[in-house]
Amino acid sequence: MDLREDGLVAVVKRDCPTCRLVEPVLAGLSRTGELTVFTQDDPAFPDGVADLRDDTELSASLALDIETVPTLVRFAGGVEAGRVVGWSRAQWTELTGVADLGEGLPEHRPGCGSRTLDPDVAEQLLVRTRGGALRSRRLEISALEDEAEALFDRGFTDGLPVVAPTPARVLRMLEGTSHAPDEVVAVVPPNLAEATVEKVAVNAVLAGCRPEYLPVVLAAVEAACTDEFNAHGLLATTWGAGPAIVVNGPVRAEIGMNWAGNALGQGNRANSTIGRALQLVIRNVGGGRPREVDRAALGHPGKVGFCFAEDEEGSPFEPLAQSRGVPAGRSAVTVFAAEGPRGVADQISRRPESLARSLALGLRGVVHPKLVRGFDATLVVCPEHARVFAEAGWDRARLQAALDEYLLLDRAEITRGAGGVDEGVPAGDSDRPLAKFRPGGLLIVHAGGGAGMFSAVIGGWAGGPGGSAPVTREVDPWR
Amino acid sequence: MAVNGTGVRGPLVVLDPTDESAPDARTAIARPASLDGLRVGLLDISKPRGDVFLDRLAELLAERGVTVRRYAKPTFTKPMPPDLRREITTECDVVIEALAD
Amino acid sequence: MHDFVALEGRGVIATFLASTEFVEAADAQARALGYRAVPSVFVPHPIQDRTDAEVRALADAALEEVLARVVDVDQARGVD
Repeated sequence: MDLREDGLVAVVKRDCPTCRLVEPVLAGLSRTGELTVFTQDDPAFPDGVADLRDDTELSASLALDIETVPTLVRFAGGVEAGRVVGWSRAQWTELTGVADLGEGLPEHRPGCGSRTLDPDVAEQLLVRTRGGALRSRRLEISALEDEAEALFDRGFTDGLPVVAPTPARVLRMLEGTSHAPDEVVAVVPPNLAEATVEKVAVNAVLAGCRPEYLPVVLAAVEAACTDEFNAHGLLATTWGAGPAIVVNGPVRAEIGMNWAGNALGQGNRANSTIGRALQLVIRNVGGGRPREVDRAALGHPGKVGFCFAEDEEGSPFEPLAQSRGVPAGRSAVTVFAAEGPRGVADQISRRPESLARSLALGLRGVVHPKLVRGFDATLVVCPEHARVFAEAGWDRARLQAALDEYLLLDRAEITRGAGGVDEGVPAGDSDRPLAKFRPGGLLIVHAGGGAGMFSAVIGGWAGGPGGSAPVTREVDPWR
Repeated sequence: MAVNGTGVRGPLVVLDPTDESAPDARTAIARPASLDGLRVGLLDISKPRGDVFLDRLAELLAERGVTVRRYAKPTFTKPMPPDLRREITTECDVVIEALAD
Repeated sequence: MHDFVALEGRGVIATFLASTEFVEAADAQARALGYRAVPSVFVPHPIQDRTDAEVRALADAALEEVLARVVDVDQARGVD
């Protein structure tokens, strides 16, 4: 585009009353030979301007970063030397150096919005100016197809409707991160396909995420695609667990996550869509689809997406992420294998030992009350239970140690055949009690509403090497 | 081209969320290795002479050990009505539709 | 073609037969609905003025092709 090295450039549109007001002023300035006018809507407007350029494509308006019309810009030596927005006799006079401009006009009059900012136009401009950065294959949904039905039919969804990932929506999603669209985030099992930032963004759009959630989704994808987490194994097992995400740090509040009442439930957009985005990445990029590679005998409803935030502010415990090595004040995700949560009530215990024993009883049922060390679990301590620990001065380590102690199971109770149940641990040659969980196999998180002495146990899957271990990754590097 | 938001609706462009290893067009669902044990339906679109064709096709399939259920659309000029669709999708694994002429 | 989409979208394997007169129309409709091609069998046009014997002969000739549209003999049985 051909802008002036020296002189004045005005951008106008006929649709704007202020632009029509200054029409004679522009005609007057045009006679100095110093003025170029770009017009956003009507190529014949304004009248009386010699160097009038059609900018209905808005290229000049974009290049000049016009937000308001009229805008008058002075160039000197090819660089902008000043600009005036709207009509102001004083400012126009100063910028142009021409006295007595706009005789009979009011002293000033605000301008109108540039067409570049019209919502429908802004969308097209976004795609026009930045769409070239997108590499994903473009699919056409014909005018005869219903958009939602077409996305179901193409197999992109988890069984719920998705948001159509148009280039404009994906570009807006990508504004949530500073990372380039073509950067590889992770290699996604089971097909070991590379997920770029763009592919994750496409799936985040499908899931219903807002752009500000994207760094959390990216960190979750990174975490879930590690060897330690072993998403492939988790997917391929006939056990029903899926990936869950717990979020720590300032990002929780920034994106409006829920860690209070109904923290593990529905109703919060960030909680619901971040977990879903991870699962859609595994489905669509990794190829991990139910009844294909996903062999779960039953699965659970949280496999649509399972994500929540830890209540750090009300917690007697150090935040989970900090307990796993993330510096204080930083945001992080921890992914872990998760079944659906089940409640553990205790409305009587006031002593921490008693309450910890109660919770241990609830944890004992994970995978099977008579099996040990195979499966990991997560305990979500509710605020009313946490208060008991807080008043007794118990921190995370103290509770963890107590649970470890109370989850040493008497071999006689859990041997195969004991209690009339053939399932159980094989008979051994020792009477030593057996630990329910492997070291590091029990996560403790604090979340929930202020009323209700109901914590929750979230069963996991085979823990450690050969199974899945929880993985924590920082969110901030993905901003 | 001028920028405007009032164009006639063309195809909606969406970005492929997958690893793009599959073809970009919709494809027919996977075919089984044989019709053994599958419920097969013949759907007559109700054009003249189509019944003769479908009667013969049913005979030929029966010779192969494939028994078929027969269905007919009320009219060939419209997609099948929802009741018929429901009936067929409940009762059939495979449907052969004929005969457009 | 809409019937084909409705059936396959609900997990029913579908194919349709038409006379050769419909090759282009079927192709255009398939594309409009997002398919590059759909499993179909075309028999020689016309149909309506043929004798019963002729129509039956068309069915005889079409049988193998019809079967080829609904089974995939090369494909191993799906996962358990």
